[in-house]
Amino acid sequence: MLNYLIKRILWMIPMLIGISLISFFIMHLAPGDITSNESAFNPKASEESRQKLRELYNLDKPIIVQYGLWLKRIVQLDFGSSFASHQRPVLWEKKDENGNIKPGLIQKALPITLLINLLTILLIFSISILLGTIAAIKKNKIPDRMITLFVFIGFAIPGFWLALILMYSLGVVNQVLPISGLHSIGYEQMSKLGQILDLLKHLALPVFISCLSGLAGISLYVRNGMIEILNQDFIKTARAKGLYEKKVIFVHTLKNALLPLITILGLSIPGLIGGSVIAESIFAIPGMGKLFYDAVLMRDFPVVMGILTIGSILTLLGNLIADLAYAWADPRIRRGLAK
Amino acid sequence: MHKFLALLILSLVVGCNNSQNLDNTNYDDLIPPESGGALTNAMIGEPNNLIAMIAGDSASSAIAGQIFNALLKYDENLGFEGDLANSWTISDDYKKITFNLKQDIKWADDEPFTCEDVLFTWKKVTDPDTRTPYGSDYQLVSKASCANNHIFIAEYDEPYAPALETWASLHILPEHLLKNENINDTYFSLNPTGSNYYALDEWTTGQQVKLKTNPNSVHGRPLLEKKITRIIPDLSSQFMELIAGNIDLMNINPIQFSRVFPSRSELNDKINLYKEMGNGYTYFGFNLKKKPFDDINIRKAISYAINKEEIINGVLLGLGEEITSPYKPGTYWENKSINKISFDVSRSRELLEKSGYQLNANNIYEKDGKPLAFEILTNQNKQREMTAVLIQRRLQDIGIDVSIRVIEWASFVNRFIKTGEFEAVVLGWSLSLDPDQYSIWHSSQQGPGQFNFIGYNNPRVDTLLENGRKELNNEKRKQIYDEFSKIIYDEQPIIYLYAGYGLTAIHKKIKGVKKITPPAGVFHNDYEWYIPRKFRRNEMSL
Amino acid sequence: MRKIIKNPMSLAGLIIISIIGILAIFAGYLSPFDPNYININAILLSPDGTHWMGTDALGRDVFSRMLHGAQISLLVGIVAVGISTIIGIILGSVAGYYRGIADTIIMRLVDVMLSIPSFFLILAVIAFLTPSIWNIMIVIGLTSWMGVTRLVRAEFLSLKERDFVLAAQTLGASDLRIILTHLLPNSLGPIIVSTVLGVASAVLVESGLSFLGLGVQAPTASWGNILTDGKEYIQFAWWLSLFPGLAILITVLGYNLLGEGLRDNFDQNT
Repeated sequence: MLNYLIKRILWMIPMLIGISLISFFIMHLAPGDITSNESAFNPKASEESRQKLRELYNLDKPIIVQYGLWLKRIVQLDFGSSFASHQRPVLWEKKDENGNIKPGLIQKALPITLLINLLTILLIFSISILLGTIAAIKKNKIPDRMITLFVFIGFAIPGFWLALILMYSLGVVNQVLPISGLHSIGYEQMSKLGQILDLLKHLALPVFISCLSGLAGISLYVRNGMIEILNQDFIKTARAKGLYEKKVIFVHTLKNALLPLITILGLSIPGLIGGSVIAESIFAIPGMGKLFYDAVLMRDFPVVMGILTIGSILTLLGNLIADLAYAWADPRIRRGLAK
Repeated sequence: MHKFLALLILSLVVGCNNSQNLDNTNYDDLIPPESGGALTNAMIGEPNNLIAMIAGDSASSAIAGQIFNALLKYDENLGFEGDLANSWTISDDYKKITFNLKQDIKWADDEPFTCEDVLFTWKKVTDPDTRTPYGSDYQLVSKASCANNHIFIAEYDEPYAPALETWASLHILPEHLLKNENINDTYFSLNPTGSNYYALDEWTTGQQVKLKTNPNSVHGRPLLEKKITRIIPDLSSQFMELIAGNIDLMNINPIQFSRVFPSRSELNDKINLYKEMGNGYTYFGFNLKKKPFDDINIRKAISYAINKEEIINGVLLGLGEEITSPYKPGTYWENKSINKISFDVSRSRELLEKSGYQLNANNIYEKDGKPLAFEILTNQNKQREMTAVLIQRRLQDIGIDVSIRVIEWASFVNRFIKTGEFEAVVLGWSLSLDPDQYSIWHSSQQGPGQFNFIGYNNPRVDTLLENGRKELNNEKRKQIYDEFSKIIYDEQPIIYLYAGYGLTAIHKKIKGVKKITPPAGVFHNDYEWYIPRKFRRNEMSL
Repeated sequence: MRKIIKNPMSLAGLIIISIIGILAIFAGYLSPFDPNYININAILLSPDGTHWMGTDALGRDVFSRMLHGAQISLLVGIVAVGISTIIGIILGSVAGYYRGIADTIIMRLVDVMLSIPSFFLILAVIAFLTPSIWNIMIVIGLTSWMGVTRLVRAEFLSLKERDFVLAAQTLGASDLRIILTHLLPNSLGPIIVSTVLGVASAVLVESGLSFLGLGVQAPTASWGNILTDGKEYIQFAWWLSLFPGLAILITVLGYNLLGEGLRDNFDQNT
């Protein structure tokens, strides 16, 4: 077990280097850099000043040198400053000599993305377990069919289409929910409870829409998992022993069916920091998706590389945790490894 | 779950059938000015640096423009008037401008404004270490000095006619706050101190920028106490916020102006629409270095084959005008004496055949075995895309094979424009207020990254442009630029497609907006706008 | 096959994608108008007898554009999935059959590709190249082969130890022959399921790219760009949103229903 762990962690290092190298090269394959965007077609702006800027950002050096410089800084956990946002720190806020704090880009964007993703995952898992269980119990009957149809429709609806429809009907015509943004005007004056409710109202639509498309996968997984287990011998034994039907289902079946979900939870970890650029754009949510998208278009290399680095670390960690958790939770594997 | 679904479907059904007018207020009442209140508007991008000389983007300059002043500004008829300067004089040899600055002015932090601030700003913008792309105009000043605390003198080696325009666009910065700072990096860019109507109140990154009245404002207090700019990247979301009454004004597109509003009477009860001449023009540009675009007959043939009126009606729903010179229609510099090239298919065919082109079996013009075919490039802009589609159709009809490529901006500039690897483009320039067009049309400006990327080279035009920069007498200047614009139109290195109107929707609760929009635009007098108390949003903060 | 028809859901899926497939193939014959025919006197007309689905901002008939859009959306889906499936089969076979170093390298490559968000890759490549149909198809294909690889590898791992494979190896059959005639045919089930579901995803991805302005380019019609073109005036021109949105919904639904039905079918076989 320990050997396996060590091997996996050691593998992470070359993989991270590989991922960052590939990403770095892809970004630099793109024509242009930050200097071509700012004031690109403003006849008042001059080429010499752009050249100066290029030198300042080391953009005139060969790619491998730029990568080396970046790598050197990143291992010291220095994520650098953004090109596009005029030197705002990429990761965390920095204090300058006068005590002024410049907020970090990821520092500002990550919390809201995390919140939305956590709420989404929470909802997806709870609703899916419920729906999947019902579908498994009433297999091939009407409730099963209806649930399957519902989750498939949820997956098939183009998110931005549904978003626009809901924003219009619930935000403009009926004014039940806010249309976009995170806070209402007058937010600062609200009580703590009022602020929380206000935030939840603003997040209702974005969370609903991202939840809807994720239901299909997990609820079917739960359904199929439970069906498989319900057919197995040990359940038949428990039933034969005369245990109360509901107890049979909920306690025994659910426990076994939920094991694979742990794997999925682990695999969802990297997704936690990813924001949907489309949803964030429509709902005016300043999250990681928009940060990333804008950085790609502006060729803001420090920001792009910063986000990809964090993302890949989380992915590798998430995979590792998922594998470990599954191995630990499934007594068959645990016993096997201990031998 | 089922209940929620039912509610959802119900609200959709109810919603789609009618639009409930929850807002029965009558906004048409005449109410005298009251100060206070907050205006809410929206931007699609976020400013990143409020020092305009360093920031490259329009969001930053829009906000910075509320906080800072320049020496001069434009009056409502687009003439010059004093901003931080009371008056100015130009020496007889046109090489020296003397500005008399306003006295007894204070910065928002109560420090006095003096000529030192102007001198400091000039030094910064011309400093090679300052990361500004705008230094070149100010580097033409050979000597800048302060005669005393309120007289600033700018001396030029040669008369420079666009000078006044440059002094109307340089935001003057406070020397006492920035003299020890690295201007490229300073925290001041996120928390500035200015002299104009507003000061920064609060900036919540990614969400909104709040401005509040600056009590030391050079021009006195504006009526609107606060301005809140929400950051809403998607235009359809912005439009919904406008209709729902959550933002008070918005720049709208021709379809929203001509189709959506007229079809909804309840919208017209709440919102007024304004139309003004816009600030830019869209053109079809040839790469003059690529055959056959070096042949003036081909260019003219294509110009005759394009139906510009159709483009204005199709893309802008009629909300735009044809132009024949790169100046704002209705202003002094517009050259009204040029005869338009009309839509004339037979003339177009004549010119093509005169150049040796014949229709081949596929109904495409061909010469020496090579069909007349090319690709139009444009960037991700809906109107330009639609324009390209219409042009493609017309040219296809006549027998020219055209394809379209829409490219993301940075790639567009770097892979195609800078390298000269393009055939034709649909792009735009701004309609300048000063007639100088040197950087776009002078033959010396063809380097990579410079603006004469189509490769125009005409010695007569070069001379005109050089002289135009030095001529300060307006009548003589007009003659120079009239000749310039005539030559450009005759040679058709670009085809002027249209100058679109600026369309603005402003909620009726905002009073004080001029009914007839002056040449300077509808926002020109926004310091006089006010929101009567009874129409104000429920803000407990005031 | 019978099982598919017996299951009402997968039958519905099959019917849906067949109808859409037919509409797409015969779009040229079925369109009442040329989808690129611009008529500026007919801008933004609501659905009526002549224009069953109304017209768009350049006066083009939306119904005709929807039919041609079906061609495009399905083409993108099928080609993209084709590319990813072929790559996945090749890599998965090699990894599952040969194990050892090849397996390790391929699986690590899968991990690396999964770590880089696919949307970033697609975005980056399309933004930097040009958003043409071919680039979109290739890029979606190149970023979605990981799932198929894992599937094929898993199937091979379990099939490899079976008697008929050992027999073939003893008889001296070449590796390639064993893979092609014994292993792959028996792995087809999950591959087919993954392919069908992949088409659905690709259609959704294309519409998302259109929203960002990086989808299929003007003047070609795709469901994604018809929807996007009309989003700033959905209150007025509802037909520009309703029809493409429904079309995407129904198509993706159809593929998913069929795919899941096939999965049930294959699962019960093993």
